[in-house]
This record gives sequence, C-alpha cells and structure tokens, in this order.
Amino acid sequence: MKAKEPKKRKEKKEARMPAPEGDSGNHNEPPLETTQAVEAEKSPPGRTGFRAALDFKARGEPFIWIMGGALALGVLMIIGFLVLVLWNGIVTFYPGPVEVVTLKNGKQIAGEPFRSESFHPSPEQMKGLDPESQRAIREADGFASRTLYRIGNFDVYNEDFKWAVAHQVAKTETPPGIFFIERKEWGPFIGFIKALKLDSRRISGEEVSLDTLYSAHDEAVDRREAVRSIEVDEIGAINYYIEEDRLALRRTELDYGKKSAEYRAEKEKFERQTKERRAGFATLKKKIAAINKEDEKYQITLREIGGREKHLRLSEIVRLYPANNLSLFGKIGVYFSRWGEFLTDDPREANTEGGVLPAIFGTVMMTLLMVVFVAPFGVVTALYLREYAKQGTLVSIVRICVNNLAGVPSIVYGVFGLGFFAYTIGVRIDQLFYPERLPNPTFGTGGLLWASLTLALLTVPVVIVATEEALSAVPRSMREGSLACGASKWQTIRNIVLPQAMPGIMTGLILAMARGAGEVAPLMLVGVVKLAPELPFDTFFPFLHPERSFMHLGFHIYDVGFQSRNSEAGKPMVFVTTLLLITIIALMNAFAIMIRNRLRRKFVEGQF
Amino acid sequence: MVSNATVIEQEAEFETTAYHPIESELGSVIDIDNFNFWYGQKQALFNNTLKIQKELVTALIGPSGCGKSTLLRSLNRMNDLIDGIRRDGTIAIEGTDIHDPRVEVIELRKRLGMVFQKPNPFPMSIFENVVYPLRVDGIRDKRLLEETCERTLRDAALWDEVSDRLQDNALGLSGGQQQRLCIARAIASEPEIILMDEPCSALDPIATARIEDLIAQLKEHFSIVIVTHNMQQAARVSDNTAFMFLGRLIEYGETKKIFMNPMHVRTSDYITGRFG
Ligand SMILES: Nc1ncnc2c1ncn2[C@@H]1O[C@H](COP(=O)(O)OP(=O)(O)OP(=O)(O)O)[C@@H](O)[C@H]1O
Ligand SMILES: [Mg+2]
Repeated sequence: MKAKEPKKRKEKKEARMPAPEGDSGNHNEPPLETTQAVEAEKSPPGRTGFRAALDFKARGEPFIWIMGGALALGVLMIIGFLVLVLWNGIVTFYPGPVEVVTLKNGKQIAGEPFRSESFHPSPEQMKGLDPESQRAIREADGFASRTLYRIGNFDVYNEDFKWAVAHQVAKTETPPGIFFIERKEWGPFIGFIKALKLDSRRISGEEVSLDTLYSAHDEAVDRREAVRSIEVDEIGAINYYIEEDRLALRRTELDYGKKSAEYRAEKEKFERQTKERRAGFATLKKKIAAINKEDEKYQITLREIGGREKHLRLSEIVRLYPANNLSLFGKIGVYFSRWGEFLTDDPREANTEGGVLPAIFGTVMMTLLMVVFVAPFGVVTALYLREYAKQGTLVSIVRICVNNLAGVPSIVYGVFGLGFFAYTIGVRIDQLFYPERLPNPTFGTGGLLWASLTLALLTVPVVIVATEEALSAVPRSMREGSLACGASKWQTIRNIVLPQAMPGIMTGLILAMARGAGEVAPLMLVGVVKLAPELPFDTFFPFLHPERSFMHLGFHIYDVGFQSRNSEAGKPMVFVTTLLLITIIALMNAFAIMIRNRLRRKFVEGQF
Repeated sequence: MVSNATVIEQEAEFETTAYHPIESELGSVIDIDNFNFWYGQKQALFNNTLKIQKELVTALIGPSGCGKSTLLRSLNRMNDLIDGIRRDGTIAIEGTDIHDPRVEVIELRKRLGMVFQKPNPFPMSIFENVVYPLRVDGIRDKRLLEETCERTLRDAALWDEVSDRLQDNALGLSGGQQQRLCIARAIASEPEIILMDEPCSALDPIATARIEDLIAQLKEHFSIVIVTHNMQQAARVSDNTAFMFLGRLIEYGETKKIFMNPMHVRTSDYITGRFG
C-alpha cells in the first residue's frame, strides 16, 4: 500500500489540475491555487460566493479566539503572580529611610514607613482630631490617609508597628543621626547613639565616627562568632561523643546485663573517657568566659526617640546603619549583606529574622532524596506494566488505580507516612538496631527519610504515567529491529527502548520534583519542624542522618506568615522565602531539563 | 479485507499450487510444510507449502494483505510478539523445526537477518548500529567489532560513504544509506538467510538500484527472501518467485517462467495488472 501512495497522489493531482483551469476559463476568474481548486471542484457551480462564510466557520476562528484567550489568561495570572513575588521579594531587604513624625499632640514616632492606605476613621477616632481636620475628612467623604510605621524597639514599646493618620501629623523629618540597628534579640532598634564605650575609651554620640563604630562592631562580631563556634562545634562534638559513649555503655548493658564483666569493663572505660571529655569541656568554658569578659568592655548606649535609653554589648548587634545618611553604595551594601545573612545563616527570633540556610538544606535534600526513591521505583513499575504485564482487565484496573492515587489529598499521604513509615517500620527499626536509645525514638518518628519516602509515594503516579507514555511512544520498528538482530526482550528494553524513553521519563521526574518540592501539608506530619536543632548533614559519621527532623522552606513560609507574633512583620519574609523556594525549584528543574535536552538532542537528529 | 474473507468462503476450494522452482544444487534451506496461521480468529495463511532454495533469491509477490509479511515474519518467529496468534504445520530451517521447544528463538533470529520496509536504524552511532548484533552477544573485543563493522559495511556497499564518520549518529544518514546500514546490521551476525520486507519501498530509484545490486552480490553467500510490490524488481533480482493470494500460495516457480509464461491464470492477471 504505502509503496504506491506517492505515485497515486501524483496521479490524482495531475488528473485534477486540468479541470479547474477549464472551470476558471468558464467563470472568468483568475487562476486558482491548487487547494482552492479542489474545493471549487467540490462545491456546485454558482454557489462559489458563499465560500468565504463557510471558510470562516470551517477554519474554526471562534475556537482559536477562545483557545488563545484561555492561554493569555493563564499566562497573565502566572506573570502577575511572579511579578508580585519578585517585586516584594526583591525590595524587602533594601534599606528605607527612617522618618521621625511629630504629631500635633506633641508625640513623636520614629520608624520606617511600611505602607500607606486611605481609610474610614471611626467616630471615636474622629473625636480625637482637631476641628479643622474633621472638616477636611468630612469633605473627602469621610476618608483619611494614614501610614504604617515600623517602629521597632519592641522591648520598649511592646509593639512593632504604629499608624500615623495624616491629619494628626504636624511635621515629618528625616534626621541624619538616626540609626537602624538590627539586634540579635528583640528585633530592630530605631534611635540615636548616645554613647560608645570601647574598653576604657568613652565616646559620646555626636563624636562617634562611622568608621570607629563599624570597626568596633566588626571586632565584636568576630568575638561573637568565636564563642558560637566553640559552643556549637567544639562543645557540640564533646557532647556528641559523650552521648555516643553513653549509648555504647547502654548497649553493653542490654547485651550482657548489668552484672556481667563486659559491662563493668565498659563502665570503667566510659567513666574514664567521660572524665577526660568533661575536662576538655571545662577548658572550653574558660575560653568562652575569657572572650565574654573582653566582650563586656565594648558597649553601646542607645536612645529611642522618646528619650528612653538602652545599654547593649556591641556583639548583640547584627547590623547597624545610619538610615538617612546612607549613600547609594551603602544602601546596596546593606541590601546584599542582608541577602547574605538570609541565605547563609540560621534563623533568629522565632524564624522571623535571620537566615533560612537549614530550610534550604532541608528542602533540597528532601527533594533529591525523593527523586532517588521515586525514579527507580516509578520507572521499574511502569516498565513491568507496559512491557511485561499481559495487557488486560487486571492491568487496566491497576493503571486506573495508579492514576487515581494522584488525586488523593496529600495530607492523607502524610497520615499514611506517619502511621506506616514512622510508627510501624521506624519503631521496628528502633527496636532492632537502636535499642540503647529507647525510649527516645530514632527512626520511630518523623524524619528526612520518612518525609522523602512519603513524597515519593505521593509523586510516584506522575512518574509511572509519564514513563508508560514514554515507553509506548518508542516506535515498534525500533523494538522489532532490535529483536530481529537476536536481542532478547530485556536487551531490547535496556539498549533501545529505555534510552529513547529517557527524555519522557525525565519529564515525568521533573513534574514529580516540582510537585514534591512545593508540598507542605504531608511534611508537617512526617518530619518537618519549625526549628531543627541539627542539620541532617554534618561532620559526624555517617554524615547523612536521614532519621533527623529538618526544616523546609514551604513550612517556613507557613510558619512565618501565619504562626508568628506579628503577621505584618512576617509578610516581607513570606515573600522573600517564596521567592527563594520558587527559585530553588526553578533551578532544580532547569538542571533536569538541561539533562533531558541533552538526551533528546541525541535522538532527534534529523529523521530523514 | 472483509470482502476477501467472504470470497474465501465462497471459493472454498482453491486450485493446487503450480510448483516449478529452480532447484539449487545446494538443496533447500527452508522447508515450509502445510503452514497455517491465524491472527485471533482470522486465518491469514492457508496450507502454504514451499521449499526455499539455498543461495538463491526468492521473491514473494501478491496483492496487499495476502499474507506475504505474515509468512516472512513466521520464518524468524517475529509473529511470536503478537498476542492471540495460532499456527500449525511446520517450518524447518536446514532440517530443524523452528517451533521445536528446544530451539532458542534468539539463536534462530541470529540465523535469519531481517530488513524492514522502513529503515529503522537505532539512534546511536553508525558503528554501534552495525555491531549491535555482536554487542547483544556480549562481544567486547574491539578488533573483532571493527573488523565486522568494516566487512559488513563493505558488503552493504556503504563503507565508502561512511568510513570517515562512523561515530556520527546513524539518524543523520539519508534514507537509502539508512536502509543499507540496516542491511549491514542484518548481516553482521553472519546469518544464513536474509529476510527483506519491501526493502526499497521508501527509497528513490537510484537508492533502489543500489540495493538491487547489493542483493545480487549478497546472493553469493546468503539465501534471500524478499517481499516486493514491484514486479520489475522481482523479475530483476529473484531466481524464484512465489505468488500469494488471500493467504494461499498460488504459484511458486522460476521467475522467468512466472513473468513470461505463468501457469496460473490468477498469476498472469496479477502480473499484467488485470486484477480484480
Ligand atoms: N497484527 C495483526 N493482527 C491481526 N491481523 C493482522 C495483523 N497483521 C496482519 N494482519 C492481517 O493478516 C493479513 C495478512 O497481512 P500481511 O501483513 O501479511 O499482508 P501483506 O501481504 O504483507 O500486505 P502488504 O503488501 O500490504 O504489506 C491481512 O488481512 C491483515 O489484515
Ligand atoms: Mg507487508
């Protein structure tokens, strides 16, 4: 059949060509194109005038508009969302000016203007205003405008934000001497520097030069880091080893009993080692005390706008800058230093300040681990379903079930993960391999491993469906070619089918990855926590600790946005974290797509 | 084809096969004896009996849907891949029944190289395509692979065109080159028989001519069974021709005789184009 087709077509064309020519001669029309000629042949003579109308419907013009419109709407929504996240995320860390607002009643507010809006003052609020303002508001249909100031100094004021109604404001200034000071605790302080105490030197606020201040601050930060590194790394290591020793002792106790010779020997060893380790402990403590004593000598006295004072050690300050006296470069410097802190530090202040490094770590690691589980599992399942299973009712039912799994609410997977992985398998593992740690669970509670497995389960339908599709798209002629060469079925699958299906499989994995990385609900049950004490990756053998709980950017967004003290303060962080999460997912996807395209290029090289 | 089925029922008894092939002095290589074949309920081959001669070219001709491909694919058991098939009768290659449970189908397919209608090179380098049958045998010896590659490409009259680009992707070749590559691949496992199912139908006349030349050369070492719709091609390249109609073998004989002086009226109708 196929062999003759081209010939036949040619014959048809030749047979048709003369006819329209004759036709057009009769109707005095210009010569027609071939396609039109065919239509002309079909439509009866005399009705050629209706052809345009017919064409419009036939071409499906209205549907093209609907389809195009739907696409445009979708694109618009995505762009709108991205612009919102990008803009809010990008500007958050840019230092704004600090305004000092003097109200008509003489009170002063100092703060970063956060946002402005027009509002409807309530009758009580109206009463508090002077008659002139009241009249102005009434003229404006009862509307007034107000500005929200981020005033900081939570320890002094007990609030983070304050509204200033435009009609109450007597004057707004930006005094050059005012500082924005980010502290380790209690959030930012906005106010003036009253005095600086550097060792024996005392400098009053007006005489403090920025250079002195910054260099003293840098030194203080170094001291703080030194203390932190001793506390976390060295003392952490000692604690870790003491705990290991204790577990070893407990293990011997469980194995041989408390009265055995082994236990006594082990106990002696344990006590000796612990004593040595405790000694190291004491030295470190002394070191810390020395640094702290030095640190005490460097203090700063701050004064807020109302005149109240605050004494701080310099090392308690994270960052400080004269908000109204900052060059463009200074502002950019602050901007990037904030981004740096955000990306590389631990969170502070119940996650609303500081960095998200542990969450980045947790998200990336969990996603990668999930791919490691889901890829082989999904691909192998799909291979069996498509290539080996006898296609029939049973396989169809299995396929339908798999597809429907994708519609189960993700929280159900979370419950399942907790109940099955953690409480069933994990508890068994603890009993078998970690009896010395009981009653503290090791694998018997949520953790990185169980979270990735739960998400793997959640995303496996996507991978199976995509893989099956990719497998069935491999042309039959390829398989037959391979089989005819004497390859076995498995050799054909491995050498011919799988490599060609790989781009399609990768697409499935990319989709699964995007879905998995953005999932939060099930994770809350199987291992994500607000603040993880340790990363799931560290320098102690075996380096990767899949049993540990971890932090996740998705959960971080929820936590900062809706669980923190002040949702207004959390809002910028929500945007920044969202931006980061989206960027990370996009990066991971871009990487996967790159691999896929490299694979694809290999296969789609000019089919003749 | 539905109408054909009713035709079969009406003409329940077909005439016996007119049988006058040239006999090779080496004897026959494939003995097909009373072979019947069913796709599910539908019978595609009826009592086919013929002996394919060694180191000669046998052409299978007949109208579309008459079962040429089915017969050809039965020879290397490619039909085994299809669900719900059934067969009876025997096919023996060099005296061994290919359906004997002791016959390993993979070994069988290595003895019968196959070339398909549409060139189907694998998306790998030209070199890897040619040595694929050796690779699946687990052969790693680089010298042997290279030798085989060169020899088979020369046999397939492709060596001169591709010798300097063996590592390029095979999909970058032209259609005719791809088909010759597939022929090279088919002879790389050193088969005794080559099966070709309309190998030239996707090619232009020049590429077709090259492949026909190639068939004439390959004839010296291999027995070739070729399905073709091109009467001239059958006349040019084959020694024996089998004419099939509705799953039956109508006439099997020396090509010259079939084309000049067919014994069966159906054969002459088909060859002269008066068919219907
Ligand atoms: N996989 C299949 N399942 C069911 N019926 C099939 C299958 N393959 C072929 N057939 C039927 O078997 C009959 C013979 O088909 P076959 O492919 O052998 O014809 P052919 O002579 O090769 O035709 P063509 O010249 O068009 O290639 C046809 O009626 C066809 O419909
Ligand atoms: Mg065919």
